[in-house]
Amino acid sequence: MRLSDATVVIRPRTTWEAMDLGVLMSQQHRRLLMTSWAVITLPVFALLSLLLWDSPSLAMFLFWWLKPAFDRLPLYILSKALFGETPTLKQALRQWPTLLKPQLLASLTWRRLSLSRSFLMPVVQLEGLDGEAREQRLRVLLQRNRGAAQWLTVIGVHLEIALWFGLMALFYLLVPQQVELQWNWQTLIAVAEHDWLWLEHLINLLYPLLLIVWEPVYVACGFSLYLNRRTILEAWDIELVFRRLRQRLSSTAPALMLLALLLVPLAPPAWAAEDSTAPDSPRLLNQPLTSEASRDSIKAILQAPPFKNPETVTRYRLGEETAESAETDEAPGWLKAWFKWISGQRFDIAAALIQIVLWACLVAAIAWLAWRYRERLRALVNLRPTKRPPVARPVPAQMFGLDIREESLPDDVAASVEQLWATDPRQALGLLYRALLSRLHNDFAIPLKPADTEGQVLQRIELLEHERLLTFSQHLTLHWQNIAYGHRPPPTHLQQQLCDDWRGLFGPQGAR
Amino acid sequence: MLERPALQRNATLPPPLDTRYQVETPEGIDLPLRPAGLMPRALAFAIDLGIRGLVLGLLFIILAFFGELGIGLGSILLFVVSWWYMVLFEVLNQGRSPGKQIMGLRVVQDDGRPIGWSASLIRNLLRFVDMLPFGYTFGAISCLQHPAFKRLGDLAAGTLVVYREQPVKRPALPLAQSIRPPFTLSLNEQRAVLGFAERQAELSEARVNELASILASPLNVQAPKAVAELNGIARGLLGPT
Repeated sequence: MRLSDATVVIRPRTTWEAMDLGVLMSQQHRRLLMTSWAVITLPVFALLSLLLWDSPSLAMFLFWWLKPAFDRLPLYILSKALFGETPTLKQALRQWPTLLKPQLLASLTWRRLSLSRSFLMPVVQLEGLDGEAREQRLRVLLQRNRGAAQWLTVIGVHLEIALWFGLMALFYLLVPQQVELQWNWQTLIAVAEHDWLWLEHLINLLYPLLLIVWEPVYVACGFSLYLNRRTILEAWDIELVFRRLRQRLSSTAPALMLLALLLVPLAPPAWAAEDSTAPDSPRLLNQPLTSEASRDSIKAILQAPPFKNPETVTRYRLGEETAESAETDEAPGWLKAWFKWISGQRFDIAAALIQIVLWACLVAAIAWLAWRYRERLRALVNLRPTKRPPVARPVPAQMFGLDIREESLPDDVAASVEQLWATDPRQALGLLYRALLSRLHNDFAIPLKPADTEGQVLQRIELLEHERLLTFSQHLTLHWQNIAYGHRPPPTHLQQQLCDDWRGLFGPQGAR
Repeated sequence: MLERPALQRNATLPPPLDTRYQVETPEGIDLPLRPAGLMPRALAFAIDLGIRGLVLGLLFIILAFFGELGIGLGSILLFVVSWWYMVLFEVLNQGRSPGKQIMGLRVVQDDGRPIGWSASLIRNLLRFVDMLPFGYTFGAISCLQHPAFKRLGDLAAGTLVVYREQPVKRPALPLAQSIRPPFTLSLNEQRAVLGFAERQAELSEARVNELASILASPLNVQAPKAVAELNGIARGLLGPT
């Protein structure tokens, strides 16, 4: 057994988590576990049924009693698979007869009814312990996980019963209707009298079928509980890390040793070597503020308000004992009166009242729903979409941080631009651009949103199919972007051109 | 037929099996959740069933005095308890119904967030699919075969039943003079050394010596002294307390 080959993560888990690991293990090898289980159990069940055709219950009981013998195969497969040596179906089946030998009689007789069966099975089968050694081992193992192992079996019993009834119900549901007509519960109960043995054997067959799903899980859960118990008892996880650590160190150690040997004569005595004491011993003793003094002052500060806020709260509480004892004496008479009052009273009026309230609630809820979804209902009835009133789009006050309200613009935009150009071309272009945006919004009714980019504004202008406006806008946007984001001043001749274009587009005075 | 294809020489090995379920947050933090399997969940359900039965039984006895009114109130009560018991407890009590509280479980969304109204309603309405055809047959089979132990309702609602994190008790370390480890230790190895010191009380004497002797030669000490040495390193890792 080499722990480093384990295909599961070895660490101490809680008992329930350990069982979950077992479920995962059985899932990982579910095909192998289920087929091998089916291959060994179904023939045995068929044989038992044939031999004891006249007493189906006995056949069923014998099959159930033999479960520990079958359980050894899944345990073998799981224990091999744990260390990555998953056997094939053939190998596993060939191994089964040899697995049966050790202590089969004991596990089929006095250990059959043990509730921790699956938890203890690995002790015999995997460790091969017997007699006194086994007893000792069980005592150690059962110190902790006895309860969990017993719960596992108890849950298993209930699950088997539930699944059995479930399969029966499923079987009953799947029976064609023509057949079902002749059956009713009385005939089903009277099956024994009618000698419907085949039906009983059929119902018995459901049990091995459900065991194919459940029994490998049960064995795996017991096995993983066992693994977890031993992981905790023997600290397997620590051993694993220690072994890896040693491996890591031993591969680097020779090189380091060589280096150390070379360097030892040259190395000066280490400063740390003088003061190899732990960090909490007193240090810095030759100066006004010693380490201990500083530590004490730190502790004092940590106890003070910003770090700790102790608070004393005083409250009144009800006394517990005195009040009760006084009341218990009074209770019988009071209770008797109450019961008398209840038996004398008619509650039909109250019942009717509550009924009315509940019906009213229902009607109100339906009315509310109808009101809430009236639009959709109308659409459903008329098959005509309702018209929504057009939403008045508010004028965005600002775009790109520019104020585009009409009031904020000067009366004659072009003249202002010409004035500003000489001193502050950035201002001038900005004014022109926001004047353009304002015009686009007011005169051309382009829906502008505060989130639009310059490019999106241009795309909207393209839709207008106004050639001159488009070229002017493209031109202006280009130079505005250059100066706004790139800090590249526009060429001087541009002023005249832009102002002329503006006047050509929006009138000589820029009149509104 | 059941043989797996042989692994390529440089193929990565399949990750070892574990009961942890990693959720990665947008910040790149791995949250390990521990999904709970069929057995604790079955017990939690049994406890809840018992509580519900007890409450309903008591109230029915009281309501039996009230004639028709009692029958009406009783049926309302039956509706509320059977359909809303789980939902209300799960949403208002951090994903814990009384049974789950006792078993140390809670319900969360797949990504570890607390469960909301819609998810809780879906997973509890679909209980009736899990119950089919009798006594949770489908639910149990789904729970046993799903890697995160989900029943059908959990699959539909995208929820997960996990173990709650329990408060950890401060472990007692054996007394030793704290020393610095003579070689650098990775986080995993530091944890193992600390675990060795913390769990010493539960291990047998012989096993403790055996474990420590694995590291005797790298520590440059005789095997019998390795235990004290490792305890000292653990003290040093723990720092002043």
